[in-house]
Amino acid sequence: MVRLWVPKVRESSADEQLELQRKAKGKRPFYFSNPDVDKLLSMIMALTGELAIARDRIDTLERVAAAKKLFSSEDIENFELDANALEARAGRHKRLLREVNRIIIGELEDLEEADEEDYSAVVEQVEYDDR
Amino acid sequence: MSGPYVEQNAHIVLPKTDHDELSRQHFVRSFKEHIVESLHPGLRLAYEKRARPKYLAKHQHEPNTIQEVADAMKPDQHYQAWSSLLRTSQEMMWSSTQIPVERAINDLAASSTDQMTLGSLNLNPELKIPDYHTAVDIHCQPGGYHTEYIEGDVAQGAIYDRAVYLYAMGQMGSNNADMGDSTVAWLKQTHPEFSPTRILDMGCAVGHSTLPYADGYPEAEVHAIDVAAPMLRYAHARASAMGSTVHFSQQNAEHTEFEEGSFDLVVSHILLHETSSAAIKNVIKECFRLLRPGGWMLHVETPPYEGMEPFDKFLFDWDSENNNEPFWRKSHQLDLEGLARDSGFSRETLQIMVPSAFQETQRTNTFQGGDFGGGGVWFVYGCQK
Repeated sequence: MVRLWVPKVRESSADEQLELQRKAKGKRPFYFSNPDVDKLLSMIMALTGELAIARDRIDTLERVAAAKKLFSSEDIENFELDANALEARAGRHKRLLREVNRIIIGELEDLEEADEEDYSAVVEQVEYDDR
Repeated sequence: MSGPYVEQNAHIVLPKTDHDELSRQHFVRSFKEHIVESLHPGLRLAYEKRARPKYLAKHQHEPNTIQEVADAMKPDQHYQAWSSLLRTSQEMMWSSTQIPVERAINDLAASSTDQMTLGSLNLNPELKIPDYHTAVDIHCQPGGYHTEYIEGDVAQGAIYDRAVYLYAMGQMGSNNADMGDSTVAWLKQTHPEFSPTRILDMGCAVGHSTLPYADGYPEAEVHAIDVAAPMLRYAHARASAMGSTVHFSQQNAEHTEFEEGSFDLVVSHILLHETSSAAIKNVIKECFRLLRPGGWMLHVETPPYEGMEPFDKFLFDWDSENNNEPFWRKSHQLDLEGLARDSGFSRETLQIMVPSAFQETQRTNTFQGGDFGGGGVWFVYGCQK
């Protein structure tokens, strides 16, 4: 018999805290003949932004390090991350993904409000179409 | 953009950002500048070389109206890319300003309360937020001006304060005060004898344009109203933190609780285009009611469409359909003279372009979609009672 193993998931503090409304009320216009192009462009720009942030941070680090004569690039290469650092990075990755996929999340929020019942009907249909 | 990089004045209630949050906001500003500098000029090129000739061949006449230019431009790939990126930049602007506020929403409310030392704040939880404000979230700020998440919330005000700086790409000065500064400069230069004792700023939001009046006329009692409580709480804290005494209250500019003839100067800044056909009439009538004889009504806006060529009208109209500005188009094509007449004003109306008080030489000197702060001039509509 196959049993389901349910791992214990620790909820991150980001999920526990209050969340602001992230999609502006009002229909979102699209411009290309295929709206997927708009969505991809939005995601690319979000990614570009996050890349710029990461580069800025590296730039800051290097400048601080150089100014304080703290460390060299070799020190960075040889540094080992501990569990806390890895967890913090994983959390950052998830937040990054939420930002990059904001446009899709926004659409889902609209969809949730408008079409929830229709989708439930589809679930019901595929679940019980053998009867 | 030429000129030195102007960062926002870090007054005490401005949300704190960590390294990456600040970097994210700076990226949005860079992104907006990139659109203005590198992509916007291509629109005219695309119009002249592609869209207009195609339209001419098909219809045998020039595109003459906003709709006709739209028919010509909307299929154009550069217009599509520009629009798509401009809309995205707007969404990223709100997102980047929401992140640090979401993280610190409780602390922001508490520290704002601590700052409310000067002036006063009167909220009216019973006030109905008008339909033209709640139908869509204006200029795409998620939750609009009015949404409250916690007790004593300032989130929407805190987000707006920072977003305006990014939207204007710093071109409204370090306090986002350019509209107020420009109008006060104009008033002082053209009417040096005018010395108001009571001033009302309608639709003040976080008070960006209110404080220049308090600073410019230190003897005057300055009042400021808005329909949105989170804006007003933040505005009060911000004004106090910046050493300005302003009396904020939650009221609708269409019908206020102030006494008839109780103000020498009633102003608004980019308020009118956020209202409606019925509301704008009420607002102008209310201005007339509130002014003493000889008092001035001044509304600062972006320029009306009259006199613009169809292509410029079309671009300037972008916000109507693409940035949740449903009254933008109509409000830029109103009979402003008639509006004043019907509200009781009998003197000639003022309809002038006032140069920006902020570093005029830095500006791009053209109003264009997405470059709101780069116009170099503000349109002022007003009348003396």
